Amino acid sequence: MKNFNLRDFGADIWERSNRPVRVAIVIVVIGLVAMMPYAGAGFLATPIAAYDAVIVYPVAIFVLMSLGLNIVVGKSGMLDLGYVAFFAIGAYTMGFLGIHTSLNTWEIMPIGIGLAMLAGVMLGLPTLRLRGDYLAIVTLGFGEIIRIVALNVSWTNGPNGISGIPMPPDIGPLKFRLDDQKVFFWVVLAMILMTIWMIRRLSVRRPGRAWEAIRQDEDAAELMGVPTLKYKIWSFTLGAAVGGAAGVLYGSKNLFVAPEMFTLNVSILILACVVFGGIGNIWGVIVGGVILGYLPDRIRFISDARLLVFGLVLVVVMNFRPDGLLPRKKREKALVKKGANS
Amino acid sequence: MFTVFIDQFWQLTISGIALGFIYVLIALGYTMVYGVLRMINFANSEIFMWGTFGAIVASRDLFRYNQTTEPATGGKLALVLFIQLFAAMAFAAVVSVIVELAAYRRLRARGTNRLATLISAIGMSMVLSETMRLMTDSRPVGSPRILEKVILTEVWGAQIRLDTLITIVAAGAIFIILERFVKLSRMGKAIRAVSMNEDAAKLMGINLNRVITVTFLVGGLATGAAGFFYVTVYEYTKFNIGFTMGLAAFTAAVVGGIGNIRGAFFGGVFLGLAEVYASAILGTQWKAVTIFIVLVLVLLFKPNGLFGEAVQQTRA
Amino acid sequence: MNKKIKASAAIVAAFALSLGAFAATSASAATKTYTLAYQGPLSGGEASTGIDEQNGVKYAIKVFEAANPGYKINLVSVDDEGDPAVASKVAPGVGTNRKIIGLVGPAYSGATIASLPYYKAGNLTVISPSATRVSLTDPKSATVKSDYGRPIFHRVVATDDKQGPALAKFAIKGLTAPKVFVFDDQSSYAVPLRGYVEAALKKIVGASIVGSGDSVPNTTTDFSPTIAKIKTAGATVVIYTGYYSQAAVFIKQLRDSGSTAVFAGGDGVFNQEFAKLAGKSGENARLTGVAGLSDVDPKLEADFKAKMGVSSGVYAVESIDAANIFLSGILNGKTTRAAINKWVKSYSGKGLGGTSLKFNQHGDISEGGFAGFLVTGGKLVNQGAVV
Repeated sequence: MKNFNLRDFGADIWERSNRPVRVAIVIVVIGLVAMMPYAGAGFLATPIAAYDAVIVYPVAIFVLMSLGLNIVVGKSGMLDLGYVAFFAIGAYTMGFLGIHTSLNTWEIMPIGIGLAMLAGVMLGLPTLRLRGDYLAIVTLGFGEIIRIVALNVSWTNGPNGISGIPMPPDIGPLKFRLDDQKVFFWVVLAMILMTIWMIRRLSVRRPGRAWEAIRQDEDAAELMGVPTLKYKIWSFTLGAAVGGAAGVLYGSKNLFVAPEMFTLNVSILILACVVFGGIGNIWGVIVGGVILGYLPDRIRFISDARLLVFGLVLVVVMNFRPDGLLPRKKREKALVKKGANS
Repeated sequence: MFTVFIDQFWQLTISGIALGFIYVLIALGYTMVYGVLRMINFANSEIFMWGTFGAIVASRDLFRYNQTTEPATGGKLALVLFIQLFAAMAFAAVVSVIVELAAYRRLRARGTNRLATLISAIGMSMVLSETMRLMTDSRPVGSPRILEKVILTEVWGAQIRLDTLITIVAAGAIFIILERFVKLSRMGKAIRAVSMNEDAAKLMGINLNRVITVTFLVGGLATGAAGFFYVTVYEYTKFNIGFTMGLAAFTAAVVGGIGNIRGAFFGGVFLGLAEVYASAILGTQWKAVTIFIVLVLVLLFKPNGLFGEAVQQTRA
Repeated sequence: MNKKIKASAAIVAAFALSLGAFAATSASAATKTYTLAYQGPLSGGEASTGIDEQNGVKYAIKVFEAANPGYKINLVSVDDEGDPAVASKVAPGVGTNRKIIGLVGPAYSGATIASLPYYKAGNLTVISPSATRVSLTDPKSATVKSDYGRPIFHRVVATDDKQGPALAKFAIKGLTAPKVFVFDDQSSYAVPLRGYVEAALKKIVGASIVGSGDSVPNTTTDFSPTIAKIKTAGATVVIYTGYYSQAAVFIKQLRDSGSTAVFAGGDGVFNQEFAKLAGKSGENARLTGVAGLSDVDPKLEADFKAKMGVSSGVYAVESIDAANIFLSGILNGKTTRAAINKWVKSYSGKGLGGTSLKFNQHGDISEGGFAGFLVTGGKLVNQGAVV
């Protein structure tokens, strides 16, 4: 058991399969996940919070955001503590345009993503030259700035927030409903799949190799002719885009956005999802998002002490599985260890 | 917009410096740990919060002061304040060492990635603040008034109050003592050796674990002392005060150049002043925004903080 | 001791929730079991407010069960942490849980707005003891119609637009040509209230607002910039809209700086804890609030303490009133959501404090206002209704 590595085990099965088998595996897995909203009756049921709401937010949206943050933190090794900013920008774009214009969620989505990316570039250009913990504190500050601006300017309605945001229009027979959030889950699932597809495509091509090089040794990468700043901004902007998309959908699902929803805690929680599950590894990140999104609501029966337990879980798991529950490939890991400790 | 700033400039400056000195001590906690571990000790803010409770426990439970008792005077005043300071530092130092043992040691021994350690520290800070929240029922805790806040004198229209004076003098003294300790003592030299080059220090026969524990201890002492001053000046604490103070102090450490002890000093005072001035000119709601913009500007022109050495150099 | 009781109460409540479903189905014909809910912050930074209110509801249920043997009322504790993000996560579950026929709460306006769509969809009647935002019951001021809570939202507390003028009047009572400095704590409770206070001040002849005010995030403990502004403006009255813990820190610093300006605060500051935390500096602070249980009847307070093991808190009277409206409906056989809604709409009775409880078409009680309180000798002393 000691050397058992679930990630490698999974990878082995995948690599030994031929194309039809792979397609079958993918379809079965997606199908099973899509059935999740129906699994809320038994053990998985959450006390107090509605199961079908919990698997949309926090669980699915956390997974989506973790995948986005993983591009920044896991793939290219930059510590971003202000990821909530992009989520907030997406949600506020949805809120503002949703009630002031006749655009619907799907039309606002590209605008929200665009604005989040723009913010990513604007923040990235001056700050991505900074390294490690300096970058962490600057991004953290950016997250707080977005929240404070939302709190103090008039068009966001200040601390009162924006309410009455419209729900997405129905997609054919799929109707968005408040008391049954299955369709929201499927939409986020589709967004997650698109994000995974995007990350996998990029990982094996030039940007992925550049990020890998930057993560392992930025100076060496620069010397070898990798335009590091350009690829860092790309990674930052793509992460921002995913965060913005999650924000737009969250605004449209929640029908209400207010500054107090976008505190630093969200950034930290998403980062925790990434690291907890297995930084750099898509499947690990997904597992992290699912567990950390779901756990606090599942253990509501311990009521007052649930955050205490949550903190303990983080400490214990990190101590015994420092590379996360599903670590990245060993080959990559060995290199990280060296790079990170130097 | 500027009338308040001009009218009350000296008063604001004194308040800013007093606040800055509290930041200095917390920033010292961040910067010392960063020096040896190259890690943001995320739990330092909660160590500070525990320190404030240490000071209150001493005055309230040991000396039986409460909200209606008269402030202490003369020798008793000195004694109570000293015991409070001691209690705050002791509380914080113990918590700090526990944090090191529970959240850092095992991970460090395995030489794993920094992010795991960061998350472990975040988990630990949740544990610390939630424990305190459960113990205090989520309510704010007031500190009895020990020190009568007499206005000693007025200089250029600015009041010099006893508590402000004590904070500046005593916090300054504590800072100097700790700075000298790191600079001159055997242990201090070992700490600096580890922060310069861990492997070489190990080869020179330095007991790494002991050095790191002592670093956390000293960082905890400084942070705890900040907790004492906080309680003396504001006479209030709550389980969630750590976050805001810790964030400000951490920013101070970065502005000064993290890992650099003198940097923590200038960063802390700088941040205290910046906060107070920004609040007076733009309104308190823009305080945090101003600070972060200043931080970004500082880092753009001095990427390693005002007093930091190049990161690459120290890490090599 | 208190803590243990509360912790176990929370655990019991949590179990009651998970067992509620079974209990309801397995109840024998002899006892009639119904389920109500309380929603408010039961954990997190605002927990004390929610715990106090929930104790009020629990007390009302205890009294009701003792007076009407044969009835059993389960209480579902819905913890929204006072946070709209959490509220929109728990509200769907409450909205679709048909066992719950009425809900006391939500405690905070932001959480209320986040929850309303789900309760409207489920036709779940709510009576809030403390959500004071005007737009919830005013179709005209609601920025968008969804804030407006009709037909399910009701409240037994007066709104910000009633409190604003009351606070302004009480703050400057007996002063000639008062110069008033107003500031808030940036919360969604305080910012709108400050607006109503300032609007009221502008209408009062002789009073003037000085300085540009301030907006101090509620995590701040250093108020020296605000005090500098107060001094520069030469204010003789300072009005703070925010909560008691920050107010206590502020008033100490204001007094230590030598200022003798009158300090006034709204119902967020109105809390016995304020007098306790502020000590001597808090003397003569002018607060507006609603009378607490011990103000209404010391005997009732003693009974509360005997039954609940803790003293009653802020909004205890409102919470008990709100619960009693539901309970009387249950006693009259209104045990479906639709029936309860009708019952509440046409309800007419008297609250513990003697106010008449009758909801208008928007869900507000017509009567009920704010009383002025003066901190004297560490106690909040009722000065009567502000007129």
